[in-house]
Amino acid sequence: MKPNFIQKVTNWGNFPIVEKEMRSEDSFRKIKEFVLDHNEVIARGNGRCYGDASLGENIFSTKKLNKFISFDRLNGVIECESGVLLSEVLEISVPQGYFLYVTPGTKFISVGGAIASDVHGKNHHAEGCFSEYVLEFKLMVENGEIIICSRQENSEKFWATIGGMGLTGIILSAKFKLKNIETAYIRQESIKAENLDEIFRLFDESESWTYTVAWIDCLQKGKNIGRSILMRGEHAFRYELPENKNKNPLVLKKKFSPTVPFYFPGFVLNALTVRLFNFLYYKKQSKKEVKNFTDYETFFYPLDVVNDWNKIYGKSGFIQYQMVIPKETGKGGMKKILETIANSGNGSFLAVLKLFGKDNPEAYNSFPVEGYTLALDFKVNSKLKKLIDQLDEIVEAFGGRIYLTKDSMSRSSLTNYLTNVQSSKFVSLQHKRILNNTK
Amino acid sequence: MIVLGSTSEVAQAFVEKALREGERFERIYLFTSNKETTERFARHIDVKFLQESEIIELDLTKEINYQNFDYITSSLLFCATGYLGEGTDEGLYDNKNTQRIIDINYSKLVPIINYFAQKFESRRSGTIIGLSSVAGERGRQSNFIYGSAKAAFTAYLSGLRNYLFDKKVHVMTVKPGFMATKMTEGLPLNPKLTATPKQAADCIYNAFKKQKNVTYVLPIWGVIMMIIRNIPEFIFKKLKL
Ligand SMILES: Cc1cc2nc3c(=O)[nH]c(=O)nc-3n(C[C@H](O)[C@H](O)[C@H](O)COP(=O)(O)OP(=O)(O)OC[C@H]3O[C@@H](n4cnc5c(N)ncnc54)[C@H](O)[C@@H]3O)c2cc1C
Repeated sequence: MKPNFIQKVTNWGNFPIVEKEMRSEDSFRKIKEFVLDHNEVIARGNGRCYGDASLGENIFSTKKLNKFISFDRLNGVIECESGVLLSEVLEISVPQGYFLYVTPGTKFISVGGAIASDVHGKNHHAEGCFSEYVLEFKLMVENGEIIICSRQENSEKFWATIGGMGLTGIILSAKFKLKNIETAYIRQESIKAENLDEIFRLFDESESWTYTVAWIDCLQKGKNIGRSILMRGEHAFRYELPENKNKNPLVLKKKFSPTVPFYFPGFVLNALTVRLFNFLYYKKQSKKEVKNFTDYETFFYPLDVVNDWNKIYGKSGFIQYQMVIPKETGKGGMKKILETIANSGNGSFLAVLKLFGKDNPEAYNSFPVEGYTLALDFKVNSKLKKLIDQLDEIVEAFGGRIYLTKDSMSRSSLTNYLTNVQSSKFVSLQHKRILNNTK
Repeated sequence: MIVLGSTSEVAQAFVEKALREGERFERIYLFTSNKETTERFARHIDVKFLQESEIIELDLTKEINYQNFDYITSSLLFCATGYLGEGTDEGLYDNKNTQRIIDINYSKLVPIINYFAQKFESRRSGTIIGLSSVAGERGRQSNFIYGSAKAAFTAYLSGLRNYLFDKKVHVMTVKPGFMATKMTEGLPLNPKLTATPKQAADCIYNAFKKQKNVTYVLPIWGVIMMIIRNIPEFIFKKLKL
């Protein structure tokens, strides 16, 4: 039997699906061979970007670059290969009293993917993007050479690679800082907001909180537009914790994670079920305000509890639409977006609103700019393209942009913000699509 | 703990599984023919579990000086050494390749296991875990050189188990079916029949704890092999397996 590396590859949204060569190697010599032997190469981490960012003609999977290199337990500096998942970092760091400075809403992403998308979390307004805490990384460039990139060394490549979506080379390993925590718990407050004005006011009031995020019921119309729940949190100190959590405050009990066994048939997710879900989610919290302690898994990664939850959207897949609208015009823009979605009847199961703080001008390829960001899931169907076009129109009019790591169909004027990444070697389907489609 | 074939993804996953379950070893002796890959792994388990290890280069096709291993006193041996033998242009009649397959999977491997078995025997304790293969259960046209070496290895392990039984040393035979490892990357394997190294390691660890004698990694392989073993020869010889 001759090896054949062509396979079906798709990312978290199950859209698009391609049949391309995908290889994984763990020796630098073999990786170099792979890079030199192929005209177009793109790195892929854990495929948790939703769209076509980590798809290409020849995909290099970092799955086998999965080893830790060092952990300075005194200063909280960790070094690992790029395919190590954030979940694996947490597995060893939390019991030692360290947490990730910045984490996205899933812990199943690779360190390489975190850098290439320069991911943000619920604390962007306070602590910025993942890159703020990256000290250095090793990058394999076009000729197969490996260079060390940091703020001092090869700094141009360092900043181009951050948020550079894999277009500057393959990140092989990285060294980054962790933050001190006393417990694995979060002191949390959840507050219900009746509408958009109230949720914006709550965000402003919560500025001093490290973590803030809101879940929006995006099927509401009229005066209820923006009905939502704001969640804000802080890493709990030991002295604050109730006694039952205080015995072993850095260790959580293992939880059971159910798995979605197959792709749900199309009719399961329709306007009605989405409406019901959002209704129940909102009603679940009967009080205006709830204060409690919750473990970090529940606070940061509520969706990770169900393995393969992306399958509930069925075989045709789904997209995530995440945009940011600059602060000055943000509120008006959000309102228009939510109105458009409500009128389309194409509901989103999940709508998350966040406030971005000031961006780091050095990290010029990062997505976040100061303003409001909204992320929405939409099932792929025949009407979707039209809705996306309408939404893109609004985002464009308000001077916003789309998050590349989630994009698979937005107009290129909203996604072509990368600079210093032109390469004939490292090419993704996404980048080609954006360059070819000059709308 | 002694690991033969330390670059094997199953061996590495097994070591991680054991450490995650809280097992601690004074030292893990990582025997390998590929120092670079094994060094990465040694550092990895040091960072993750503060587990000390030592890398020992071993080329089964060369002369082995056993005195070098006299100081090793572990009581668990995990043997994942194996060589599928990639197809060569000469195919079946490439005698060099044939010899290599037989050496690595059986003839050169047995003496080194014997060496440690003797140590275990004299201490009257220990466990030997050997990775054989379902390919050893019936010769098939697609890989019977490999299969025959594994068949010999399976027979060796079962005999060794028998011999060491009243000497308080346990021998476990693992027969993985398809596994998604370097050995099989790029081959069109049915995902339902294919175990990841992690799945395999979990299963081997559980079997080890239960002191099983023979274990298939995925239970379905027990059924498949029972069928394959029972196909009458006059039919079997006509099949393209
Ligand atoms: C449930 C869920 C919640 C999410 N929440 C957030 C969130 O809150 N904030 C946020 O910012 N993102 C969020 N994301 C998106 C996710 O964090 C990013 O898409 C991340 O980049 C995925 O990492 P990955 O390892 O899966 O990489 P992939 O999806 O495989 O790749 C993503 C990009 O990184 C590049 N890349 C990957 N590895 C390397 C490497 N070694 N070298 C060079 N380039 C590489 C790829 O080419 C591609 O362009 C979420 C995703 C999911 C599924």
